[in-house]
Amino acid sequence: MAKVKTHFNRRSFLKLSAAGGAGLMLQFSWFSALAKENPNLESAFDLNGYIKIATDGTVTIASPNPEIGQNVKTSMPMIVAEELDVNWKNVKVVQAPLNTDIFTRQLAGGSNSINQSWNALRMAGATARYMLVEAAAKAWNVPSSSIKVDAGVISHAASGKSAGFGEMAEAASKIEVPKEVDVKSIKDFKIIRNSQFNVDGPSIVTGKPLFGLDVYGDDMVYASIVHPPAFGMELKSFDATEALAMKGIYDVFTIDAYPEDFERGYFDITAFPKLIIITGDSTWRIMKAKKLINAEWMPFEEHTIKVKGFRGNATDQKVPTKIENTDKQYASMIALSKENPRQARKDGNPEKAFANAAKVIEREYTAPYLAHSPLEPLNFYANVTDDKAELIGPIQTPEYMEQSVAQRFGLSLEQIDIQMTRIGGGFGRKLFGHYLLEAAVISKKIKKPVKLIYTREDDMTFGAYRPMYHAYYRAGLDENNNLIAFHVKAGGIPESPLYANRFPAGAVDNYLAESWTIESNITTAAFRAPRSNFMGAVEQAFLDEVAELAGKDPIDFRLELFDRAIKNPVGERNDYDAKRYAGVLKLIKEKSNWGTPKPGLSRGVAAYFCHNSYVANVVDLRMENDKPIIEKVYCATDCGIVVNPIGAANMIEGGSVDGIGHALYSMLTVKDGVPQQKNYNDYHLIRNNDAPWDVETYFVESDVHPTGLGEPPFAPAIGALTNALYKETGKRYYHQPFMVDIESMFLKDEAAV
Amino acid sequence: MALFTIHVNGESKQVDVDADTPILWVLRDNLRLLGTKYGCGIAHCGVCTIHLDGDAVRSCAYPISAVGDKKIVTIEGLSEEGDHPVQKAWLEHDVPQCGYCQAGQIMTASSLLAQNPNPTDEEIRRAMNGNLCRCATYTRINRAIRTAAKDM
Amino acid sequence: MANSHNSFKNYKHLASYIIALILVVVFVISCKSKNSASTEYVVLSKITKKDSLASLAAFEKVYSVLMHPRCMNCHPNGDIPLQGDDSHIHNMLPQRGPDGMGISTMKCANCHASTGVPGESTPPGNPLWHLPPSDMKMVFQGRSPRELALQLVNPKLNGHKNLQELRVHAEDTLVKNGWTMGGNRELPPLTYNEFKDAWYEWIDNGAVAPAN
Repeated sequence: MAKVKTHFNRRSFLKLSAAGGAGLMLQFSWFSALAKENPNLESAFDLNGYIKIATDGTVTIASPNPEIGQNVKTSMPMIVAEELDVNWKNVKVVQAPLNTDIFTRQLAGGSNSINQSWNALRMAGATARYMLVEAAAKAWNVPSSSIKVDAGVISHAASGKSAGFGEMAEAASKIEVPKEVDVKSIKDFKIIRNSQFNVDGPSIVTGKPLFGLDVYGDDMVYASIVHPPAFGMELKSFDATEALAMKGIYDVFTIDAYPEDFERGYFDITAFPKLIIITGDSTWRIMKAKKLINAEWMPFEEHTIKVKGFRGNATDQKVPTKIENTDKQYASMIALSKENPRQARKDGNPEKAFANAAKVIEREYTAPYLAHSPLEPLNFYANVTDDKAELIGPIQTPEYMEQSVAQRFGLSLEQIDIQMTRIGGGFGRKLFGHYLLEAAVISKKIKKPVKLIYTREDDMTFGAYRPMYHAYYRAGLDENNNLIAFHVKAGGIPESPLYANRFPAGAVDNYLAESWTIESNITTAAFRAPRSNFMGAVEQAFLDEVAELAGKDPIDFRLELFDRAIKNPVGERNDYDAKRYAGVLKLIKEKSNWGTPKPGLSRGVAAYFCHNSYVANVVDLRMENDKPIIEKVYCATDCGIVVNPIGAANMIEGGSVDGIGHALYSMLTVKDGVPQQKNYNDYHLIRNNDAPWDVETYFVESDVHPTGLGEPPFAPAIGALTNALYKETGKRYYHQPFMVDIESMFLKDEAAV
Repeated sequence: MALFTIHVNGESKQVDVDADTPILWVLRDNLRLLGTKYGCGIAHCGVCTIHLDGDAVRSCAYPISAVGDKKIVTIEGLSEEGDHPVQKAWLEHDVPQCGYCQAGQIMTASSLLAQNPNPTDEEIRRAMNGNLCRCATYTRINRAIRTAAKDM
Repeated sequence: MANSHNSFKNYKHLASYIIALILVVVFVISCKSKNSASTEYVVLSKITKKDSLASLAAFEKVYSVLMHPRCMNCHPNGDIPLQGDDSHIHNMLPQRGPDGMGISTMKCANCHASTGVPGESTPPGNPLWHLPPSDMKMVFQGRSPRELALQLVNPKLNGHKNLQELRVHAEDTLVKNGWTMGGNRELPPLTYNEFKDAWYEWIDNGAVAPAN
């Protein structure tokens, strides 16, 4: 057993329960669709922000973080339930409201929900359990140390007394909160490490309204946007006569979601702060009316916007006047990759080592913009008046957007109520909540509740893409085929994907990492496994070539390097644990029967560490009509303790297929600033028929603090795919997406690539 | 605007909408049957799939004026207790991640199995190819369909 | 629309005697060709010799339309329709099926309703949206002008249509649909009326197949 502190936040987490027994859940009641799912909460007692126990014994656990498909609405309450010692079958889970006083980090991003909340969740469960036990000890007049709790039943063996949680709930709510509590030994886990089904599964398969798009308020107005057709453009004028003549169209006007002097937060990215808004009586009519707006657009002047950093330090960011073209962007990346970049890390004497190397290999890789394109498009419900703001919808960063709303309308945080719905996919896109603020501005302006809906075309052409990336790699081998020098130079538009302290840093004596960037007015945003989604993929493809040049098996080659990093690491800032890294490779080697290839299939391997977890993949494929048929993907993962195995495997399966799909098929290009892909007819996502036939997942058994799974599987799957494609076709793939001939489309004039 | 009488989940409903309104928006905005989702509006993602006389129709591309007396079944009407073999298999395999596409996946899968109770793996992949899953739960979707086929 | 339909009926009525005459000749020639060793099917060239140049010229126009994505996309080489102005394989890989109406959850009509909904890229509507059936695929994709002309007039390859039926096929709602799909789809190189005129001119002047 270990002791954890019960106070994590500015104020005691008990404060809310003191403010009123059912207050926490009542915030849902006006939202009828959700309230129906959570009856009988009014007679329940709040033991802390996370747990509510009704007198009938029903235990309701609030899941603090936004659920975006990463399974936290199941796995986070499991951790609470484990420490509470309740029967999981008797637990109801609800989505908590945004409350930064009670909860830590209500954010879905960085694969950090479990990692950063593990202790807080255990504390919440253990504290409530402590209070229930103390209440029983008082009632029965026995020492609390002689009381046992099992599956929601409190008992005292000597006296034969027992009580359900419900019977003790009221008394427990009056027990003083302890300063610290004991949490369980890992070996005593009964719920954690046992597969529990998705708590929203039954609602999902029966079509219950769970998502932001399903919010329908009384007296609600529908709103849609018209934004500039090209990056670098802004509104000059518009004529809405035709649209306004349509039946059911209320109004057409412009809004400035982010006025020029607005100091933007990190998640306030938008390429188009000024929008035309159409309001009306139904979704279909506003969608039709959009097409009738005659707008004139013009290139904007170069300007700066104020952006707050995470530490509150505002910087001026330049927004250049450029009308971008994809072919020119590739050319500018290649040109800049040849100039002198910014050095990020240097070990030993790389240039001397390269000069002395027996063999040197250098390669270049690129990747295009990607649109996150979650299937639920951007949308938000807002009801904003002079003294309050009610906001409901899909948002990965409610804490941050609450601050933006407060700043935009001069409201205090207490006047703002952000409700998190289940999120119909985000992949990073819904970290950036401009659409929440836009809905709020519209509602305030028209003095009515509003639901803002982006069409798929709006969603895809609005920017906030995965950046374009380029990486140059160089490796040097000595006469014994040992890796003696390694050079990575990476950049992108507008950010560099480089992680200077990642493998093989630490495993090579002479190492150089460099970085460069190119500015653009095309906005970009964190995309599932930011930067790693590219670097992990191409680094693993390059290492495959280096291993081949060295005449070594690709797994053995990597294990040799990890061995070096374990025994005698170079430098001190290496960001990975070489033992765990090697561990997933060894596991994948065993589980995939590496070395015993399957007839008719070609295989590739890769491993990558990002977002605190380690994943290795083997991909088995063959080509048919110039398209890969991927028969099997093996995944080996080390994420520490696996909280919910069935959900964890789902993340790994989906993340692997998602990575493979984007690397094969997806790209977003621009011509004269205009996105060339507007919907799923021309923006290709992997479909069922092209998806791997099977994904087998394995986890390293571990008692280490649990880490996340949303992002780590994405990149290594691409690496393994790339290496398997080479084995099958004899061709190395350098430019994503592999099923598009990027070279002839965009790189023709670049002899160097 | 025009009055249309449509049959939805065994009930007759009258709605007063523009003739070109896709079934999807009639279901959502007028009837508040919210299980049928909007994803693309061009029949490319399948999240809006319903049954029209048993066929897996994309309701976003199907105007209300073209429905006539064909019978609409939505995810809400697929089974009374949420216990259609496909729904049960979906739970057994814990298919959903974000869950947004799954109603459409289930409607397509149930239409497939009604027409072809014992599909091959190849037939499953082809039949489900119009339904995107951005979380890429395809392997579980196909496993669940194989399980449901056994139960039907 | 109603007017043009009526005027076509009148025209058809006036032309019917001529067509009947032609049909007799076609029948005679087709019987002849069955007896010959050649599988090639040359139509009417002898009796309408003086018009063969006009027929050829008309077919050149016809060919430019039939090979345009709006027509060719549903006359693919394989069993999956094509899609878009670039005639890529249809994104969802729907299959032809025995009757050309698609298979199971991938029937054409599941997305192509009797009327489409307005929009840039919404699926075009038609009450009978389909591909040619699997026992007579009527492939346009990849056909040379000569191959396509010979295929079009061969009842064994054209859906069992005699020349009269073939002629009338210009009035088929799916054929007309090539010009009314809406959105930002590229239109065929001729207007519908220009196409219809060329189609009749080609057939009425002997339905000549160009040399390779």
